[in-house]
Amino acid sequence: MWRRLSTHGGAMASHLQARRHFAVSRCLTAKVPPERKPRERVEIPGLEMVTYGERMHYVPGLSKPVHPQWERDYKDPRHYRSPPAHEMPLYKEKPCYVYNQRTSALEGVRQALWLTKTKLICGLPPQLLSLAESPANQIPDQDERVQNAIKHARFWDTTEERPGKEKYSNTLLLNLLHLCATLQSSHPAIGRRILAEKYSLAATWKRGEDLFQIRGQNGLLQNCMDPLPEVSGKQEVGDTADHVLETFYPVSPTIDLQKVNVYKEMNCSGFRGDYPYPHAHTLYFLEGADPRCKLRPEQFRAKMFMFTFGNALVRAHNLYGPQRVLDRPVTVQAVGTNGRIFQFMVFQLNTTDLSGDDGIKNQVWLDEDVELYDFAKVRPLIKKKQVKVPAGLAGYKPETFSKFLALYLHGAV
Amino acid sequence: MAARTRLPLLFSKNLPPFKNQKLAHTEAAVKEPTYPPIVPSLTAKSKSARGRQVEDHVKKICASPVDEKLSLITRIQRKKFVVYPQTFARNADRWYQHFTKTAYIPGLPERFALDPEKRTGVEKEESSLPAGAQTTVPGVEIDAFADIRSLVTRMILQEHWHMKKRKPFLYREQEQMVGPFLRNLVTGLTYSLAKYNPLLPLSSLDIDPQVNFYWRRGQRIIPKGHRRGRQEPTRFQIDDQPHSQIRITQQLPQFTSLEASYAAEVPEVAFAPNLMPLFRRQYDNNIFTGAKLPDPACYGHTQFHLVPDRYHRDRMARQQQSDQVEVFLRANGLASLFAWTGAQAMYQGFWNHEDVTRPFVSQAVITDGQFFSFFCYQLNTVALSVETDANNPRKNLLWGTESLRLYESVQDGAVVGLNDDVVKLLVQFLVNQP
Repeated sequence: MWRRLSTHGGAMASHLQARRHFAVSRCLTAKVPPERKPRERVEIPGLEMVTYGERMHYVPGLSKPVHPQWERDYKDPRHYRSPPAHEMPLYKEKPCYVYNQRTSALEGVRQALWLTKTKLICGLPPQLLSLAESPANQIPDQDERVQNAIKHARFWDTTEERPGKEKYSNTLLLNLLHLCATLQSSHPAIGRRILAEKYSLAATWKRGEDLFQIRGQNGLLQNCMDPLPEVSGKQEVGDTADHVLETFYPVSPTIDLQKVNVYKEMNCSGFRGDYPYPHAHTLYFLEGADPRCKLRPEQFRAKMFMFTFGNALVRAHNLYGPQRVLDRPVTVQAVGTNGRIFQFMVFQLNTTDLSGDDGIKNQVWLDEDVELYDFAKVRPLIKKKQVKVPAGLAGYKPETFSKFLALYLHGAV
Repeated sequence: MAARTRLPLLFSKNLPPFKNQKLAHTEAAVKEPTYPPIVPSLTAKSKSARGRQVEDHVKKICASPVDEKLSLITRIQRKKFVVYPQTFARNADRWYQHFTKTAYIPGLPERFALDPEKRTGVEKEESSLPAGAQTTVPGVEIDAFADIRSLVTRMILQEHWHMKKRKPFLYREQEQMVGPFLRNLVTGLTYSLAKYNPLLPLSSLDIDPQVNFYWRRGQRIIPKGHRRGRQEPTRFQIDDQPHSQIRITQQLPQFTSLEASYAAEVPEVAFAPNLMPLFRRQYDNNIFTGAKLPDPACYGHTQFHLVPDRYHRDRMARQQQSDQVEVFLRANGLASLFAWTGAQAMYQGFWNHEDVTRPFVSQAVITDGQFFSFFCYQLNTVALSVETDANNPRKNLLWGTESLRLYESVQDGAVVGLNDDVVKLLVQFLVNQP
């Protein structure tokens, strides 16, 4: 019988057994050591370095050979290194400031107003307010159905106790849109609209000497076959020429915008040329749509505003061409929500000539922080044995939904 | 000794003094039982005690309100088979029919017949119909139908032609290309047809809802363990996520009567469910229609499903499995609709021991963007467990179509070969009302 003896604990057997690695006692939480800089190679002209290249192995005293950079002769998408910025075909010397869907502008709405040469008017325009109040434009049993919609979004949509914030804000918006759209039987113009999500917007404009762009997939867009009617008349539009834009010196208006040198100047609404619904009607934004990017209310309003402006600008470009005062202004609306608080916005683009600070400005009507309800609690809030906030839906405000409905029905009445 | 004395003869004469006098006008006095009924013990360690405990539990469930009923039925967690509506198991529809006691009837009920002779109802009389005339659904005018047709065309074009999109990511084509199209289709059709169906304006449209159902069917002998040799009921759970669904406040009318289902045939599968393959897990037992109990829209109308990304009918055809194409869709329709109608019935208080008094009806459309299959389900019985199924002649019914192509392709900004029949069926499904 021949037995394989392993002398000295494994000299014979180690090549037969699997290699065992028992180093569990190493330190697991150390800092990553800093990168070691390679030794600086000094080139002295006229002096040829003797390298160990021909010898095919390291020899102490000889220098490291320098090989030419090897390039793969075929294209492998898994090993692709992009060229540096200045070698890219779209490189331009002049930088462009890009506003994308994750930009959080420092000055918020003020910055957006300066960038787009717009005058802010607080509150919704009077036509929309009267539309909201008129009884012909109301859903039967409106209050009860809206409250049911809120309760469904906040309480009844899940097998758990309560749905999460992203889920309920999304469900609430869809429920409210569903309620508004059931009016199609009495307002047939609603049938000339369609919803589009995940569309990519691109808009470019010059402001002073700087070039600005808006890019990104932002929210739900409602497109319409007919354009929205203009909200303010020629007189008001002419009056905006006297308005002075608010600056916030010493902060530059390009703060927080992404500065790029490689860009393409394009104006694209996200749809091809012969789209049957060419006009943008309303954009719907959700605060919780992007989990990586949490915007504060002011920044969220700025984002809403910039993308509304982008949509209006692109369509004005397509219809009228660049850089002029529009005789028929383009109107786009926007609604943003976080599940309870709504922001309503109506934007009217009067001019695409945004280079100077004077002249006719664009207008925006902003109704911010409108609450739909106060509390929607699954369990009541009890402090010192007294019920402060009861369970269920509390503090419902019907005016908010009337405004939502008015924005929806604008153009279809 | 008094005990051994015989009873005197006089006593026997007096004993039945009223026996021969039959008084015609008075009723016999109801004899109150002097002692309570003799029932098995409740706490003894015996089979009859266990039986009595089960009976008491059943009575307790029957006597409680609906939300307590649901929580009592789903309270105890045990290992159960998780039934996936979208499964690649072979002949899954036969297995699912056996689990849910459903009979499959090919084709749709008479209400959705596509033949022009059988259709009655309001149609605009057009005296000079050109050849290849446009026909329509009863109740919907020809102009409205033409509008709907162009709406469907525009929606197809928006997703596939007009919107600038990148090539869809691997295995996400359904989510990126077909999902938005189906959503727009459902919403567009619902609102256009709202004036023909008064239920639709009051309905609730859910996007990406959850539907769950838990039931028991059949039993097995426990092979091993401390309970070896005893009978254990087989528990099933369906957790489904349709793409979208419409829930309404009133119930849809039945397709056929309860009695008509007695003659239907349900395939019996002799094998154990885990051979399908089906796997057991233990977690929360949920019964959910898409919204909790307090929601007023508690009845179901139509569900829309998307096939998963790994389901390729051309790949199945290459592997000579073309029959499994329809099997997959049928199994999906069956399981999803059974779960939905079962949950609706549970929400009304019917359960295993209290069978439904009226049939529950729902519809479903399963699509992959081009091919559409239509299913109608009528739930006639929820009593599927061993004790209640022994004398239950009722069966559930599933009607279904083969997959029909909606359009051939999209070329140069136009939809080629739009099939009117599929659009008509969609319209008929959505217009269905009591």
